[in-house]
Amino acid sequence: MVKEIVDAMAMQRALTRITYEIIEKNKGINNLVIVGIKTRGVYIGNHIAERLQQLESAEIPVGQLDISSYRDDLNEITDKQPLDVNVDGKRVILVDDVLYTGRTIRAALDALMDNGRPAVVNLAVLVDRGHRELPIRADFVGKNIPTSAMERIQVNVEEIDGRDSVEIE
Amino acid sequence: MTKRYLILEDGSIYEGEAFGAPATTFGEIFFHTAMTGYQEIMTNPIYHNQIVVFTVPIIGAAGINHRADEAIGPMVKGVVVREIAEVSTNRLQTMTVHEFLLRHNVPGISQIDTRALTRHLRETGSQKASIVDFPDDHAFDQLRALVLTNQEVQQTSTPRAYVNPGDGANVVVLDFGLKNGILRMLNDYDANVTVLPYNATLDEVLNLDPDGIVLSSGPGDPHAVPESILELIRTLQKQLPLFGIGLGHELFALANGVDVEVMPIEHHGMNHPIRELITNRIMYATQAQGYEISTSSIKGTDVFVTHVDLTDGSIQGLRHRNYPAFSVQFFPDTAPGPVEAVEPFDDFMDMVTVRRGG
Repeated sequence: MVKEIVDAMAMQRALTRITYEIIEKNKGINNLVIVGIKTRGVYIGNHIAERLQQLESAEIPVGQLDISSYRDDLNEITDKQPLDVNVDGKRVILVDDVLYTGRTIRAALDALMDNGRPAVVNLAVLVDRGHRELPIRADFVGKNIPTSAMERIQVNVEEIDGRDSVEIE
Repeated sequence: MTKRYLILEDGSIYEGEAFGAPATTFGEIFFHTAMTGYQEIMTNPIYHNQIVVFTVPIIGAAGINHRADEAIGPMVKGVVVREIAEVSTNRLQTMTVHEFLLRHNVPGISQIDTRALTRHLRETGSQKASIVDFPDDHAFDQLRALVLTNQEVQQTSTPRAYVNPGDGANVVVLDFGLKNGILRMLNDYDANVTVLPYNATLDEVLNLDPDGIVLSSGPGDPHAVPESILELIRTLQKQLPLFGIGLGHELFALANGVDVEVMPIEHHGMNHPIRELITNRIMYATQAQGYEISTSSIKGTDVFVTHVDLTDGSIQGLRHRNYPAFSVQFFPDTAPGPVEAVEPFDDFMDMVTVRRGG
């Protein structure tokens, strides 16, 4: 059974909170770059960047990170896609929709490092559902949603799915 | 009906009919534009010692029920209306507005042309007023001799600490004048709330091991609050989530080096659109403010603006750049008012939960 556990309004609030926390932790937005992990992390990253822009009237670059060639569960070799923003010496906010085993983030960090040497990397996720398999944690969490490994968490974003919500199945 | 008079410091006389207590009263007069929530307005500590003019043509149609009390009784010194309802069919009511005011010795006056009075007050600004039996020279002399106190916080704050128990996070409310709505909202989150007097010391606050601090909504002039309170806020915001409302918002601003000014036209109502800057979302909320944050003084400080009033551009929300500390000028406790503006409580309790590691 699919159940909506975060509605559009609550999702927007969670992104707003993350944005405020980013400002708090970074003492401003100087040198900040947002890197979204494809696919939904990019849209969530865009929303955060829009909010930062509303508050601080400054454009924040948003990169799209493709991690498919860095995954540890695929044997086929795919071409590495270079990142479309400069992360050298930047304060990078890595953004994904769901933090689960931590393997995606591990791959994303490898991909990020292949593109430069960021000054700092922070991780922002909309949902932390637990069950880590690697020593990774998020710096900014929209919602902590304790789950069982049997359950499935689906984040929907307006741009792809036609609505903003988090569902559990 | 007994004739009575509302007189203003500038010499204006308004003839009306008595209701409530037959007492003579003095206070600063202001007008409130809300269509609903008269009981919450009359009992809101922010209106302590003031005389309220309701612009809505008739009040009292829902009577009085104690669920709508924002304090132990009416806080206003007088009530001015066009018409007071004599009949109420509200099944929740326990008494009429007349009986309520009579019981608490607060006079009211009806059959006043509140539209003309409101226009007049908009031009002259707030001033001293009195409800009297006869508007003779003696009455005006008394009114002009009246000195309004600037010790409102001292008069409305609780003299002793007390607990409003709950199973959840440990929240300390600093009482600069506390409306019940704030406690009701914290109850909704099961917070274990300790209310401390306005002059609580840093040790008294920290000894309670709080997870978060609320600066309550007050009445009165933020500049009349002792400097030691601003120092307390500066110390607390560095170590605990902090949330200011109303006067608490103004004190949060002053503590962070932002100026607060008297408003040319005060806000007392719930019909101003408020814009949340970060999302461009519009919301409505109850406003009760005679002071505003000076926009020009924000630059160079460690706070930034989060909400503005779209009608006059006044600042309605601030947030600290480096700490989980923020404040709103409007009343997010929805008592009375639209329920869409409750999010600051949600944000605060979220901060508090993060701090507790949950």
